[in-house]
Amino acid sequence: MQIGYILKEGFSGFRRAKLSMTAAIITITISLLLLSSFSILLINANSVIESLREKVEMEAFLSDAVSRKEADGIRAHIAALEGVSRVHFVSKEEAAEIFKEEFGEDIHRVLDFNPLPASLKIFLSEGYRTAAKAEAIYLAVNQIAGVEDVIYRKTLLEMLDRRAQTFLWVSLAIGACIAVSSIFLVANTIRLAIYAKRRIIQTMKLIGATRSFIRFPFIIEGLFQGVIGGLLAAGILFVIFEYLLLYAALPLEDFLKVDPLHYGVIVGVGSLLGLLGSIISIRRFIGERVVTE
Amino acid sequence: MIALHDISVSFDGQHVLNRINFSMKTGEFLYLVGPTGSGKSTLLRLLYMDLKPEHGYVRFEEFDSNTIKDRDIPYLRRRLGIVFQDFKLLEDRNIYDNVAFALHVTNTPGTEIRKRVLHLLADVGLSHKRSHRPHELSGGEQQRVVIARALVNSPVLLLADEPTGNLDPTASAEIVELLRKINMRGTAVLMATHNYEIVRKYPARIVQIKEGALQEVEIRK
Repeated sequence: MQIGYILKEGFSGFRRAKLSMTAAIITITISLLLLSSFSILLINANSVIESLREKVEMEAFLSDAVSRKEADGIRAHIAALEGVSRVHFVSKEEAAEIFKEEFGEDIHRVLDFNPLPASLKIFLSEGYRTAAKAEAIYLAVNQIAGVEDVIYRKTLLEMLDRRAQTFLWVSLAIGACIAVSSIFLVANTIRLAIYAKRRIIQTMKLIGATRSFIRFPFIIEGLFQGVIGGLLAAGILFVIFEYLLLYAALPLEDFLKVDPLHYGVIVGVGSLLGLLGSIISIRRFIGERVVTE
Repeated sequence: MIALHDISVSFDGQHVLNRINFSMKTGEFLYLVGPTGSGKSTLLRLLYMDLKPEHGYVRFEEFDSNTIKDRDIPYLRRRLGIVFQDFKLLEDRNIYDNVAFALHVTNTPGTEIRKRVLHLLADVGLSHKRSHRPHELSGGEQQRVVIARALVNSPVLLLADEPTGNLDPTASAEIVELLRKINMRGTAVLMATHNYEIVRKYPARIVQIKEGALQEVEIRK
């Protein structure tokens, strides 16, 4: 097979069928923009939820009878528990400092003595910041001798869990809708472009062209439409996220971050859309009889 | 060279061809006549195997309609030249590329393609219009391009399905003369037509399709 000729034929669509080529590229670009904006939002929303979870910490208050040495033992014990990333000791004095920062008043001046117990701040590892897993850690810590009380924001975690679940399902549903309609849209546009050429395909068959000889230029054309659509979509998103949002001075850069890999994925998905769209569409027209009665 | 044996074809339960036999020799010129809708195109489709018979077989050189695989049909068509009433040129490319396409299909080397395409375009008198698109040419000129394309792979048989159907009398005469010139050089030509004036003017063997049957006819002077 003449690879050079087939490649040339594949590219010639840019010259011979500018309109349908442009339509296909624009369709792919728009589909990818929709898909990727949505996935960027999804990824970032997830990281917002994750950062909220990070703020949930557990605090174990120690009995006044516990010595500093014993406290260190308890601390080591807790740090060894599954799901605990680190434990920070807060002495009675430090607790008083924190009280002063929060209330602007010295506890010694109010009460003559310091009622605030020493405590251990427990930070949970990623993946353990859910209500159920935190509860297990809570129960384990609560049993340790010398620990008077353990507090953490259970209701916040429960709420996050519920919201995250709903959020996941809703976004999966929306994502699936966008994905399905994108594939449909792209396949349809490519099919229309090939449909416009079906007389040409039939003529090629009459001249003795094999199916693969006819098929390959269309597939190459589809692949290129996908690559170009992908590059355009990635370029547009890059400009939006890396420049426009900064110039608009929107305080979004903390929330909306785009992994550079994402741009590569967009081009990849675009190529795949173009490739599959053309393979599926050409298959249909190439099998037709040459002369229709 | 080509033979149809005991062929039957029907569409929607109606016999278009009913147990017909037909053969053609190398280098022969033959008219296939009959009114529109009589089955001339059906017979030609059988020959280039766009249609398979319900009964009987078509044999062209080593190809047999009963045993040929779909993927081998392109190789059969490369040995035939096919000319249509509606030309069937590739509208998305110029005349030169239209003729060259038939050679790209057969994997002919680039220098050879150039030589043969230019030679054939000169032969049909269209060298100067090689960069034109099909729609920029008159009907007669388009049909000459189709003939050039059909001949570029040196077929043993040229099938022409109403090649003058869309042309005025002058252009029609030119096309038939061109087909006869091609035949003179050794290519067999099977021309389906319902233009009896042409048949009368350029006599050759005539086969008529009538009510699903084939019969040899003599032209009355």
